[in-house]
Amino acid sequence: MSAAVASALGSALSGKPLRAIAALILVVNGLFPALWILLTSFKTEAELTQKPITWLPHAATLRNYIQAFSDQPLLTFLFNSFMVALLSTALTLMVSVLAAYALARLNLRFRGLIMSVIIAVSTFPLVTLLVPLFETMRALNLLNSWTALVLPYTVLSLPVCTLVLTSFFEGIPRDLENAAMIDGCTRFGALFRVVVPLSAPGVFTAGILAFVNAWDEFLLALSFNSNPALRTLPVGIQLYQGEFAFPWPVISAALVVGIVPVAALIVMFQERVVSGLTAGGIKG
Amino acid sequence: MTTTSTFKSEADRPAARRSWLSRWSDPDDTTLAVMLLTPAAILLGVMIVYPVSRLIYTSFLDLSLTSGLPARFAGLANFRQMPDDPVFWQATWNTVLITLITVPGSLLVGFALALLANLPFHMKWPVRLSLLIPWALPLSFAGLIFGWFFHSEYGVVNDVLNRIGLPGVIWFNSPRLAFAAICLAIIWKASSFMAMIILAGLQTIPRSLYEAADVDGAGRVRQFFEITLPLLKPTIVVALIFRTITALQTFDIPYMMTGGGPGTETATLAMYIHQNTVSFLDLGYGSALAVVMFGLSMLVTALYLRMIRGSGAAS
Repeated sequence: MSAAVASALGSALSGKPLRAIAALILVVNGLFPALWILLTSFKTEAELTQKPITWLPHAATLRNYIQAFSDQPLLTFLFNSFMVALLSTALTLMVSVLAAYALARLNLRFRGLIMSVIIAVSTFPLVTLLVPLFETMRALNLLNSWTALVLPYTVLSLPVCTLVLTSFFEGIPRDLENAAMIDGCTRFGALFRVVVPLSAPGVFTAGILAFVNAWDEFLLALSFNSNPALRTLPVGIQLYQGEFAFPWPVISAALVVGIVPVAALIVMFQERVVSGLTAGGIKG
Repeated sequence: MTTTSTFKSEADRPAARRSWLSRWSDPDDTTLAVMLLTPAAILLGVMIVYPVSRLIYTSFLDLSLTSGLPARFAGLANFRQMPDDPVFWQATWNTVLITLITVPGSLLVGFALALLANLPFHMKWPVRLSLLIPWALPLSFAGLIFGWFFHSEYGVVNDVLNRIGLPGVIWFNSPRLAFAAICLAIIWKASSFMAMIILAGLQTIPRSLYEAADVDGAGRVRQFFEITLPLLKPTIVVALIFRTITALQTFDIPYMMTGGGPGTETATLAMYIHQNTVSFLDLGYGSALAVVMFGLSMLVTALYLRMIRGSGAAS
């Protein structure tokens, strides 16, 4: 983050003040909240309640991070979030690869209708699933389980992933597949040996979108999994606040731990994420 | 001509002689389409069609799990309860107001950010990251962080106000100020995604159009209104409709910032559905509220499908 600020200053020195100001506005607007949490996570509780408040930590400490892991089962929250996100991503990809292939390659008579259904589903309000799923999961004794979240998250990401993958499949020449089939591959053989490997970047992009969607979801996780052993991170964070106390430095440390995995994914694959978001066009 | 017929014509392998095994392992187009789309159809059936039917059915029941009584058909009683329920009106009004404020708000801010991000920077990644990180930050985290920003004693907002000589404000004691703080947080969170979509649209506009306009002597402002804006219209319409549907479901940010307080002054419809279902276990009334929400967003979706069908932008 300080590198981002440095580069903003860098373009300031290159003599284009408008560009430098623009970069500064963008970087401050985008990164200030995350930066503030990072700074707070190094402050002591005593420093936090000083007035006027301090911006940079006076005596930086790592104790908040230790406390974040010892006060609450933060590792368990991370593990739950990770497993739920991973399982739903895998399931979403399996289903959407097949559907996208059909939409991109086969001359379907109802293609327009199917596309409309997919777009309509992508606007489906998850809140309305809350009541019937709560009722069903409760009856099946599935409240407080990964399953209660994996299935709805799969539906949440299915439309976006299908749209992203359809546009990727359309970019792969049909001749490659035909060649594979002349050489003796079946349709499925061609799909899994030629098309899927070639569209690996697309599959990966769709996977990141599905993962981030699941990692961020809050309402269903809050409603279905209240047992601390099964809470995902966004819901688990709430346990840090006491009835009157609000231990901000420790909460900030936990937030930083929660932001880092997804931020790292995004830093590594920024261009792919942007292309996926704009190809799938939609959710945010 | 389909791909199969190029090398395996039906004459070579009459359909009647094909075993069921080869039909499965090497199917024709129609069979293949059915096989490929079935998993998605099952998933949507189980996770959307069934729950929505169940939701509509439950909305006609008197089903409160706290009472311990079995479900009883109640006709329209749940829906009749709504007009006399002040919290329902308040939550619905807040939801509509949040939509009316934050959708145009995030469009304007997002547009401004996109125009700034479209400048020719030497390094693209800091700009890209400053749009991507707010998108990836969970809504619940954003709510928590902005709640802390607006804290009356130790919040950074009041600190900045004090530094420029203004008195601090107790944001969360006043319904209006709390509502304003929530809207600011939502606009911040939503605008970066808007900016990314608009930026992608800006980058598809050919340079030559602006060069031609330069030659014709059109100024920057005129170029914006006569080239940029019309060409971006389809992109903006799609982004706005998705934003509207998301805004109708607002939950995470007000839940984390104010918990709906003071009182129920900043509660949204989604929060009220959640409270009736999970806290009060009144599934009948919760379902009826969710049906209202479902109707609202179906309305916006229908509008959306009509628009993209009209402009031929689908597929």
